[in-house]
This record gives sequence, C-alpha cells and structure tokens, in this order.
Amino acid sequence: MEDRAPNPILSATGLRKEYGKGAALVRAVDDVGLAVRPGESVAIVGPSGCGKSTLLYLLGGLERPTAGAIELAGQPIHDIAESALARLRRRALGFVFQAFHLVDELTALENVELPALLAGASPRAARARARELLQQVDLEDRAEHLPSALSGGQCQRVAIARALANAPLLVLADEPTGNLDSAATTEVLRLFDQLRATGQTLITVTHDSRVAATADRLITMRDGAFVDETRLTGGTSRSLSQITGLGS
Amino acid sequence: MGRLLLIWRLVAGDIKRRPVQAALLVLVIVTTTTTLTLGLALRKVTDSPFARTRAATRGPDVVAELTPPNGSQTRADADFASLRHAPGVTETSGPYPVASVRLTARGIDLPAQAEGRDTASAAIDQPALASGSWIRPGGAVIENGFATALGLHPGDEIRLNGHPFRVTGIAVSTAQCFYPVSRPGVIWLNRTDAERLASQRQPLGYVLNLRLADPNGAEALTSGPIGTAFFNEPDSQSLQTWLDIQHDDFRVIAVDQKALLIASSLLALIALASIAVVVGGRMAEQTRRVGLLKAVGATPRLVAVVLLAENLLLAIAAAAVGIAAGKLLAPLLTNPGAGLLGSPPAPPLPATAAAEVVAVAVAVAAAATIAPAVRGARASTISALNDPAHPPRRRGWVIALSARLPVPLLFALRLLARRPRRAALTAAGLTLAVAMIVASLALQYRIDVHNQAIGYDLSGGGVADRVSHLVYLLSAVLTVLAGVNAIFATWMTVIDARRPTALSRALGATPGQISTGLTTAQLIPALLAAFLGIPVGLALYQLAGGHLQEASPPVLWLAAVIPGTLIAVAALTAVPARIGATRSPAEVLRSD
Repeated sequence: MEDRAPNPILSATGLRKEYGKGAALVRAVDDVGLAVRPGESVAIVGPSGCGKSTLLYLLGGLERPTAGAIELAGQPIHDIAESALARLRRRALGFVFQAFHLVDELTALENVELPALLAGASPRAARARARELLQQVDLEDRAEHLPSALSGGQCQRVAIARALANAPLLVLADEPTGNLDSAATTEVLRLFDQLRATGQTLITVTHDSRVAATADRLITMRDGAFVDETRLTGGTSRSLSQITGLGS
Repeated sequence: MGRLLLIWRLVAGDIKRRPVQAALLVLVIVTTTTTLTLGLALRKVTDSPFARTRAATRGPDVVAELTPPNGSQTRADADFASLRHAPGVTETSGPYPVASVRLTARGIDLPAQAEGRDTASAAIDQPALASGSWIRPGGAVIENGFATALGLHPGDEIRLNGHPFRVTGIAVSTAQCFYPVSRPGVIWLNRTDAERLASQRQPLGYVLNLRLADPNGAEALTSGPIGTAFFNEPDSQSLQTWLDIQHDDFRVIAVDQKALLIASSLLALIALASIAVVVGGRMAEQTRRVGLLKAVGATPRLVAVVLLAENLLLAIAAAAVGIAAGKLLAPLLTNPGAGLLGSPPAPPLPATAAAEVVAVAVAVAAAATIAPAVRGARASTISALNDPAHPPRRRGWVIALSARLPVPLLFALRLLARRPRRAALTAAGLTLAVAMIVASLALQYRIDVHNQAIGYDLSGGGVADRVSHLVYLLSAVLTVLAGVNAIFATWMTVIDARRPTALSRALGATPGQISTGLTTAQLIPALLAAFLGIPVGLALYQLAGGHLQEASPPVLWLAAVIPGTLIAVAALTAVPARIGATRSPAEVLRSD
C-alpha cells in the first residue's frame, strides 16, 4: 500500500493512533503508510468513523500519533516540539474544514488574511494577498461581509482562500463539501480542480464520490486501515462536469 | 410533584455534568458571602474598640492627676475634694499613688509611671488582663502597649529604680492612652510597692478616677468652674475626659471605622462582579442545552425555571457555607492586639444579617441568570441548537488596529473585543483591589512617618495597630477575590475562545503565542486597573480620614503598584492560559 515515489512532500509510515485503554481501547488509525508527491491530489474515502479525519489531523500535525513517523517536506513532524510544528504548519500546510471554521466576528477578507498575519506578514501584504485570493475564489464583492451574511458555499470558498494564504506546500481538506448543497458543492469542486491544475498538492478526506473522483489517487479506508488504492485518470483527463454529473 | 422532580433531575444532572463550573460558582459565592459576613461582623466589633475596652475595664469618665509637694496624700485628698463633690459625679476610685521611676529590663532603661493599686478590684478603671494575673506584692502588671514595645511577658523580671519585680500580668486600660501614645508607659504595682519607689527628688503623684451620671457631660465638668479651679491648682498635673483619651487613641492614625466600612462596601462590589462573571459564563454554555430541552418538549417556562433553579440552588448552598465560614473566621480577626481589650467573644451575627448575606447572593445570582434564562427560553429551538455560545461582538477598529501588532497582542485585543463586558468586570474588580492596596500603602507610610517622628516602633500601637491590620487583611481578601475573578475570567475566555484558539493553532499560531495572548488579554484590563487604582486608592484613603497632605506615599511606592499588579495577574492567569493554549486543536475542531 505504501507509495515509494522519490521526494514526497508528505510521507507517513507505520502510523497508529489509539484512544482509551484496556477493554476500551480504540485504534482509530492502524498501521497506515502513505507518500504524497508534489502536485498530487489524493482522496481518502471510507464510511463514517473509519478514522479518515483522524488520519488527516495526524498528517497535519494537529494530533500526535501513538506510533509511527510522519515527514513533511523532508522534516519529521511526529516528534518535534509543538512550537516548531506550529511554525512548519503555518508555512507548509493549509486546512479546509467541513464546518468552515471561519471566525464569526471577522469579515471574509479579515478571515483570509489571518494566516498571513500569524506568519508575520505586514498588514499591507496580508491584505493584498487576501484580496487576490478572494478574487481567485470569485468573492471579491463579498470581502467585507461577515460569515453570517454568506451562504455555505461562499463560506467554504473563503475557507479555501484562507487555506492558500501562505502558499502552502500541501492543502488538507476534511469533508469540504459535507455541509454544502449540490450547487455549492460544484463551486467548491471547481475550485479544487483549479488548485490541482495549478499543481497544488491536495489531500481530501471525503465520503462524497464526486469529490473523490476529481483526485489522482483514491484510497479507501476501513476500521482505521487502508484497504484499497486506485490511481485515477479522471482527475486529469475528464472535465468537472463529466465527473460530477452536475454540469459546470 | 412530577414537575418538581423533573426540575430537580435536570438541575442535579447539569451540576453533575459540569462539576468544575458549579464548583467555581460555589467558590466565588462562598468567598463573597464569607467576606460579607466578616464585614458585617467586623463592622459591629469595630464600631467602638475603645468603648468595648472602656466597658470591660469600667473606664473612668474623668481622670484627674496631681503632684502635691512631698507626695502628701492629705494634700491630694484636699485638692481632689472639689472634684469628688462636683455635681454629676456619682462615684470615684483612688486617689492612687503614682511614682515616676526608671524601668530597666532586657538592657533597656526607660522612664515609667508606677501606679499603686489595691489587690481588690476597683469600681472604676480596673485594668483588664490580656494575660497573666493581677498585682501582688513584688509583682508588676504592665500596660499592654508598653509590654509589647519592650517584649515583656508574665514571668519576666524587671527593675524599677533598681528594685526587682516579677511581671505577673499584661493589662489594658482606658484611664490613659496606650503606650507610646501616652508616655511614659504605665506599670501597676501593689500600693505599698509604688509608695516605696517615691523619693525626695521624685515625690508621689496621685490619680483620681471619676464616674459621672452623664458621661457625655464630662467636657462640661472639666471646662466648668470646678474643673478650671482644679486645673489652676499649683499641684495639678492633668484633667482629662474619656473623650480626650479616646481622641488621643485615635489621633495616631485617622483611618478608623470609615476605612472598614468603605472596604466592606468594596468587597461587596468586587464580589458582585465575580458572581456576574461566573454566572454569565455558565449561562453562555447553556444555549445548546436550552435547545435540547425544547427539542424534547420542554416549555419556555420550564426552561427558564430550570436555569434559574440551578444557579439559585448553588447560590443558597454557597451562602450557607459562606456564613458559617465567616462566623468561624470572625474571632480570628477581632483580636485587636495591644492597647485595647483583646479576645472578645465571637461577634454575634444576627439572623437579619445572615438573611442579608443570603439575599445578596441570591439576588446577584438571579440578576445574572434571569436575562439569559428568559432569552434562552424565548429563543427558537433550532437557533439554540445551532448556536452553542453567545455570538461575539465585532469591533472593526480593534481588528484593524490589532492586525498591525505582534501575534500575542493581536490575539489578546481580538479576544477582549469579543467580550468587552467581561473585560470591564475584570478591570473593575482589579481596580478595587489595587485601590485597597494603595490605601494600605498610604496607611503604612503614615505609620512609618509617625514612627520616625516619635522614634518608637508603633507595632504595639493599639487602635492604629488594629486598624492597619484590618486594612491589610481586607486588602488581602480583596486581592484574593480579584485574583479568583481574574483566573475565572481567563478560564471563561479560554472556554469561550476555544474554537478561534484551535483554529489559530491549525493556522500556525504557536502555543506560546496563544498562551501569551490569553494572558495579555487579562493584562490589558489589569494595566488599566493599576493606573485607575492609584488615584482611587489615594482618594479612598483620604475619604477614610487619612491625611495625604501630611504624609503622601512616595511616588516610587505607587509606581511599583503597576508592575506589581501586572506580575501578579500574569502569574495568576498563566496556568489557565497555558491549559487553553495546549489543548488539542483537533479535539475542538472535530467537536464543532
């Protein structure tokens, strides 16, 4: 199951995550190995509770594995100090969550500029970058709106723009269309397609087959382990409308 | 009955589900009600420490002193006759012989007044023993302030004009001011022993104590024709009313009951702020529960009753504990130390005072609960289910300003802007604590200046000692309460900001940046409180009877309050801030 391609952006070996003890022990991720090359788009699918979100959080350094190793851009992240991990995350990773996780009291523009400010960018540069990203996701006219004034699809597009604020090596998306209706899902899929086309490395956890179909590689997970892996051509050869059946 | 059972089950269930929050609310209300109980008890005790001592020692209304040539008692009796028979005088004690002596003990050589007394109890001015036993031949009882200043205890040996005496007891009296307000210090001896200490060069003086039918008319006697005639006698030394003595006891320091009254009021205010923060925090977490209750069929009224009942139940239980604790602690605070009578019985707390304390706790808990309870009851089920917290406020200018600042400050300012009322309550609580500390510093400085001026240590200074100790103690209680408030406000911020905190961590903020931000969010109101607390504290001191124009504390002392406050708040909030910063972001982001 392990991909041995040279110089992966992200690699994980023997990854395990356990919760609880004794009889109550739950193995959420069980001996997972993964390597993701630059520019590759990977979709991880599986039923609810199979451990795919936990795996994503482990890969993003938001949770510590019980065992195993993770390397991001050639640097081990499974055992480095929390502060070093945060600095690495800030420049190398972008997150997209199912629940968007936009800051309620910040406008769309302020939400998008937040990662750049946290990374120490000047307010002017952060603002300029945020405007550019909102333009990319077609929301420049909603820049001054609060999340409460945006639709679900618009919120997720803001979240995608925010994930790209520091030009990360890798974007990790956790059920990015889980809270969206069909039209909003298409908007997000179009964005993901654009990202893939620009060479953005992407790992998406989803149970939406339309999202999974846009990836270069599809990994199926069950009971915490990888059970199947398929290399797709659809992500590069077919149009989005063909994949989703929703029209573009 | 079934409805009551349901309410009880829901209340008990929620308390069990979130025991830490319930415990914190109980802790704050216990602290509040304990201090309120103490305040009420102390106010009663400190209404009149002098009066209490005066009553216990059967203190005189007027004290007359004279020194006839050659210490002749016959002459003294003749000179005192007009006073004895003055209108309004109902009883006298004395005249008692007084010898001016040199006291040597523990390498100290000081002048003292040795007053000859009977072994039997006097009808007027029977000094009350703080320790040891009353006089016997060869034994000496030392005035409490004098004994404290010299470090003397029952059993110690002293020499008076070279004659050895054993200290048998330490006592207080209101026939003269306590040492060192009144100098030389007073020693009570057996009458024969006192007479033996007189010399040709230092003849005996005599003291006569008078009781009047109307003690408040003492001034009329001393300034009337009989008093003036006595004062003009060539042998006359002094003619003092009990009011003069009381005034002299208090003149050392002008901070008296007013300080305590003001401090108790401040305690109540800061306590109210604490309860409002805690109850407000609990209610913010209840929105989702309201949605769940309504989703399963609870009426808006039932929802409001459950929320109200829960906080009121905790408030009543905590008030009961607070009253008991206050009553237990009161005797520890009512020992006035040297100068005036010590070890009074525990001050009684009338049922009305206890009811006042309970009413305050219940009223504050109800006031903090009622608005969110009604709002929650009225809210639509879906919006309550979808809105786990009270939506934060947006302050555009703060967001724009903070974007230009380092990450911890950016985080701190934005957190403050989310919950400005909580920040204001924290600042108000800390301002009161800082004000009380500043007032204590001003008082301490006044005492230091006075000590330097008279060259004595006032550590045994009776009322001054008592008032300063009480002010320090109240400052300490206020500081503890403000500290609890700051810790809780930080914890509430941690809970309230768990989602933006986790998100910031996911976006690359380090735990250090987050915890510094959370602490800084408390330091900003603390800085404001430190700056406001200095003038407020000085005003408070002046208002309580202090004299800033005579002795204003050095600027350096006052300036030190600012870093002191910031360091204390940083230390207190560091732990909850650290816990909030190191919490797994995945856990929070996933749960939402």
